[in-house]
Amino acid sequence: MSTLQTIQQQMLQAVLAERTLPPHIVLGDDIADASSRLDVYRHGYRIRLRDALKVEFAGLQCMAGSRFEGMLDKYVEAHPSEHYNIRWYGSGLAGFLEYAHPWREKPQLANMAKMDWAISTAFDAADESSMGVADLSAVPPESWAGLRLTLQNNLQVLECAYNTDAFRRATDNGSKRPHLRRFAQPRQVLVWRRATTVHYRRLDDDEWLVLGASIQGETFASLCARLAACHGESAAMPRMVTVLKRWLEAGLIRGWDLA
Amino acid sequence: MTPSSATRPGSLPYLGYGLGLRVEHYEALLANPGKVEWLEVVSENYMVSGGLPLVWLDRFRERFPLVMHGVSLSIGSADPLDEDYLARLAALAKRVEPAWVSDHLCWTGVQGVNLHDLMPLPYTEEALEHVVNRVKRVQDVLKRRILLENVSSYVTFADSQLTEWEFLAAVAERADCLILLDINNVHVSAKNHGFSSLDYLRGIPVSRVQQFHLAGYEQGERLIIDTHNAPVSNAVWDLYMEAVRRFGRISTMIERDDNFPPLAELMAELEHARALAEPLLQDAA
Ligand SMILES: [Fe+2]
Repeated sequence: MSTLQTIQQQMLQAVLAERTLPPHIVLGDDIADASSRLDVYRHGYRIRLRDALKVEFAGLQCMAGSRFEGMLDKYVEAHPSEHYNIRWYGSGLAGFLEYAHPWREKPQLANMAKMDWAISTAFDAADESSMGVADLSAVPPESWAGLRLTLQNNLQVLECAYNTDAFRRATDNGSKRPHLRRFAQPRQVLVWRRATTVHYRRLDDDEWLVLGASIQGETFASLCARLAACHGESAAMPRMVTVLKRWLEAGLIRGWDLA
Repeated sequence: MTPSSATRPGSLPYLGYGLGLRVEHYEALLANPGKVEWLEVVSENYMVSGGLPLVWLDRFRERFPLVMHGVSLSIGSADPLDEDYLARLAALAKRVEPAWVSDHLCWTGVQGVNLHDLMPLPYTEEALEHVVNRVKRVQDVLKRRILLENVSSYVTFADSQLTEWEFLAAVAERADCLILLDINNVHVSAKNHGFSSLDYLRGIPVSRVQQFHLAGYEQGERLIIDTHNAPVSNAVWDLYMEAVRRFGRISTMIERDDNFPPLAELMAELEHARALAEPLLQDAA
């Protein structure tokens, strides 16, 4: 007589193993032997996890092409699920592609997986309200130097050495698979959600400079100083206004306070 | 004899004929609810922090009575109950105020690993006591009786001492919970294990059954597989009529999880269920 715990552990090991004899705890009969019975669970486990990943990693599927299925198979064999919601099973895929041979030789794959996952997590992140241009008119003119912006918590920035976002875009638009291109300098891709729609776009280099500084809690005066260092004193303020308007229109800003 | 709702423990409402809510049918169902009287939502799909899933949930909540159906409670697991899961489930139930909350009589993982499957239990006295204690705990946290559903199964454990229906009936009686009887799963398991589906129905206490599931399966090489990707089979319609004769007026719904047809086809299946059940219920009354 086995305990409930032993039975479940043996059953679990038998399902996770790619091939193994059924444990003696499972009965076979005239309808089907123990192996074919166990195979229903083994097969179902793998199909379910792979199907769940396919939903979340559309960009990776586009980029990896015919290698995609094999990649998922290896991840499934290497990583048992630890989440009660199967949707979260993909949280480890980018990490897996970063260290597992042969995919680690192609870092664009892990990067693509990261972007897909960022889009996926933004989709059902906590709701947040966003601020419009009118809300900033409440800031007294003499206080602007000390203004600090509070950005959306769901906002994520990914460093990309390749045109990773183009693969996701091609999938989302149903357009042709792009060619892989390595950037001369890594670019930053912003992922965020506005109301119920997830967006992503490349950041201009100077925009990333001030967005990153904003996330760190730097004041408006300090953001302007950073732009002045790039573009010169006279160009800094108009550029700051352009960038700020863009952020407000995209719903990136949740609120403000004064340093 | 049709038991009246007053004789049912806890007397939950009778909801009529419903469907499992799936994202594939969101738009169509809001545009034309037809004769769909209630919806069953998969709890885990809405146990999220925000975004579109909860927006849709609120829209349906305004239009239909809802019940919550979970797949990850893992009531039979040897692992401790996942208190975080339970807290989130309770929070969702507070938001939705469903007519009832259900999950499955199964385990979904052990040792912290989740198989995302409805694994059958060994039908032993030890497992029975374990499940009963956990159902009581869950009912305390949720402050309501839960429904447990019979699963389709493909293995039998050498250690089982009870039949599946004896086990299910004993859980319901001892833990004072209710039963979601999946007619298709009774049929699938009966075929796969060679028992009588009528014996199964006769072994289930009438007063404990609160809901029926109907679904389709796939014929495998030797076993039949509960895939929810096909129309309800003739054998399951026959068994459904037997179940209506035995259990009376029970809230009934159709589950489809794959190979989605247009909503109208599911609605037609649901009307077929109504057309089969209502004359039997009239006769009984
Ligand atoms: Fe079911």
